[in-house]
Amino acid sequence: MDAQVEIQLIAAVVAIACAIPGVFLVLRKMALISDAISHSILPGIVIGFFITEDLNSPLLILLAAVTGVITVILVEAIQKTGMVKEDTAIGLVFPALFSIGVILIAKNANDVHLDVDAVLLGELAFAPFDRLLVSGIDIGPKSLWVMGTILLLTLGMLFAFFKELKVSTFDAGLSAALGFSPVVLHYGLMTVSSVTVVGAFEAVGAVLVVALMIAPAASAYLLTSDLKKMLVLSVGFGVFSAIGGYWVAHALDASIAGSMTTVLGLVFLTVYLFAPSKGLIAVMYRQKQQRTEVSLLTFLLHLNNHEEESERRVQHLNEHINWQKVRSKTVVELAQKNNLVAINNEIVTLTKKGKEFTDLALEYIITNKDEKIEHMKDDFFLFRG
Amino acid sequence: MTLPDYFSQLFSDYTLRTITLGTAILGAICGMLGSFAVLRKQSLLGDAISHAALPGIAIAFLITGTKDTNVLLLGALVSGLIGTFWIRGMITKTHLKSDTALGLVLSLFFGFGMLLLTFIQKQPNANQAGLDKYLFGQAATLVEKDVTVMAIVTGICLVIMLLFWKEFKILLFDADYTKTLGFNTRFIDILITFFIVLAIVLGLQTVGVVLMSAMLLAPAAAARQWTNKLSVMIGLAAIFGAFSGVFGTAISASQNNLSTGPVIVLVAGVFVLFSFIFSPDRGILFKQVRKYQNRRDLKLQKTLQFMFDIAKTHENISHPHAIKILNNFQGYTRASLKEMEEKEWVQVRGQKWLMTQKGYEAAANLYNNY
Repeated sequence: MDAQVEIQLIAAVVAIACAIPGVFLVLRKMALISDAISHSILPGIVIGFFITEDLNSPLLILLAAVTGVITVILVEAIQKTGMVKEDTAIGLVFPALFSIGVILIAKNANDVHLDVDAVLLGELAFAPFDRLLVSGIDIGPKSLWVMGTILLLTLGMLFAFFKELKVSTFDAGLSAALGFSPVVLHYGLMTVSSVTVVGAFEAVGAVLVVALMIAPAASAYLLTSDLKKMLVLSVGFGVFSAIGGYWVAHALDASIAGSMTTVLGLVFLTVYLFAPSKGLIAVMYRQKQQRTEVSLLTFLLHLNNHEEESERRVQHLNEHINWQKVRSKTVVELAQKNNLVAINNEIVTLTKKGKEFTDLALEYIITNKDEKIEHMKDDFFLFRG
Repeated sequence: MTLPDYFSQLFSDYTLRTITLGTAILGAICGMLGSFAVLRKQSLLGDAISHAALPGIAIAFLITGTKDTNVLLLGALVSGLIGTFWIRGMITKTHLKSDTALGLVLSLFFGFGMLLLTFIQKQPNANQAGLDKYLFGQAATLVEKDVTVMAIVTGICLVIMLLFWKEFKILLFDADYTKTLGFNTRFIDILITFFIVLAIVLGLQTVGVVLMSAMLLAPAAAARQWTNKLSVMIGLAAIFGAFSGVFGTAISASQNNLSTGPVIVLVAGVFVLFSFIFSPDRGILFKQVRKYQNRRDLKLQKTLQFMFDIAKTHENISHPHAIKILNNFQGYTRASLKEMEEKEWVQVRGQKWLMTQKGYEAAANLYNNY
């Protein structure tokens, strides 16, 4: 295989392997644990490297993954003492462990073929040069085999425990009642995340592995609320940015991991802005619509309350409800368009339809049942705010 | 150079003096403002902001082409602020939670920054080396001008903090009440966040983007263990921060190729560890001692109660009883009997014990006192 294709393949496999645990981390509000793990495995990797002298050795991966799980346990232990809050506990543990790792590397710079830049960025470009030889025959880059194995394990766990993971993610209490221990699943997930982070570490480095875990899942979360679709989408985003990132790096002659993250960032930004119902623009539009509609309701209630003509002049409304000119104009126009009011000689009157709507709305305000109001709007409004 | 050398040359050597002063000021301001971050449960915001500052440094370099610290840090400030406001936007406008928002800004900005840094390194421009010192920090690059800037910013922070002390404090502990009192909480909130970002940016040159968050948290978390008073906590955090800065710099300067960032963070970590264990009120050690003491008191009281139940069935409360009958009772040991004797609750005569008047009253009032 061509080195270029191999790099893209490795990148794609890393992206998929990260995206799957990432989805669960995001849903469980533990996204930052991935940041903590990815930093704190460094001393594990360095010490493992002293012992095995091979970055791809299974022993090293295991050792480093254990460091990751220890981090999680340590954070939880500090949190339990109540001396600091959870986020502070995370923020204290991982920089300390990471510092130990960096110092170990700096002090043994001559013996370790790891440098600090590689720790942050990974060395994806060199991955194809480290081949796996089985009885003298070259069967592909080592890291591809390592990441492939991790990916297969992750997929196996995902299919085997999908139901359990789903229940414990969304309802820990129910899961415990059904007999799936949330604690076991929690540590299981932490172990899988640690192993994945360690495997991906060499390819993309400490910080960017966080991006590969969180960004695809967060983008997918903005597009769907179905767990299966979310998994598929985040895998898709991961692979897209892996391959897209490779070509951007190729064009700019810059770090592959950095450009993969940048592509991921662009993907997330696009989704964040334009996601159909949860994106920024959709949310802002909906908020504006709701603001106008609430104003409309206030306006109709005011009309309903006042028989006297002096209270129902268009001019007077501006002053009485204290609205800006533009706002009252929008509201009055919307009411007219929807046939809720009629205007004669500057005097606003509720139409029959308007009266009916206002009565229903009053009932809604008294009973305060949220689900009713949207139906009412659908029934009465031809035009929305 | 060894550690003693470092401190003996501290006052004669210009470079050493500048560096030490710089890290001390930095540690102090980080401790001060970090206290707010810790108490507002924004500990990890610092981590996100410091990583988010990296692309700002790279872009400032790409635009201006200079390596002037102030220009680069201005870029860092801008991109740090953009990151902060994006995090807020994500949390308020979408259903993504704060951990996801922080993680996203942290990793995406940092990744983009790394892309730019590697891109800059490949440029045919002799002036580009040295930007990567912002990753882990290099205190040795501090010059007098940088220290002056730090001192001025710290001074401004201090003045503003004193000016808005009341507002900061009340917002910290009861945001809703602050709002009902008519304070502009949004403004105070933004002011605090702005200063936290500022402190982080100031530290980038010395501690680096990767570990800056710990510099902010560790002194404050350590100080929190010693006091429940905000002003004392801020003062202590500033002192812890300054000492971590100075010791960290001293250790890293006395060794070869050691970045300052990790060393300072580890020194601060030692402060935290010490505080966690030895603080009199909240520390693990004294908590454990207190727990042990309480348990012993409780056992003693239970034994007394048991004796009381026996004694009150007799007309004369001081009627002697065999020690043997206490053996069935769990809380009883020879030591506890002796201690009760010292408190004059009981008297021991040979193989018998008898309850004193004092002991009888103590037992009768045992539950009234609580």
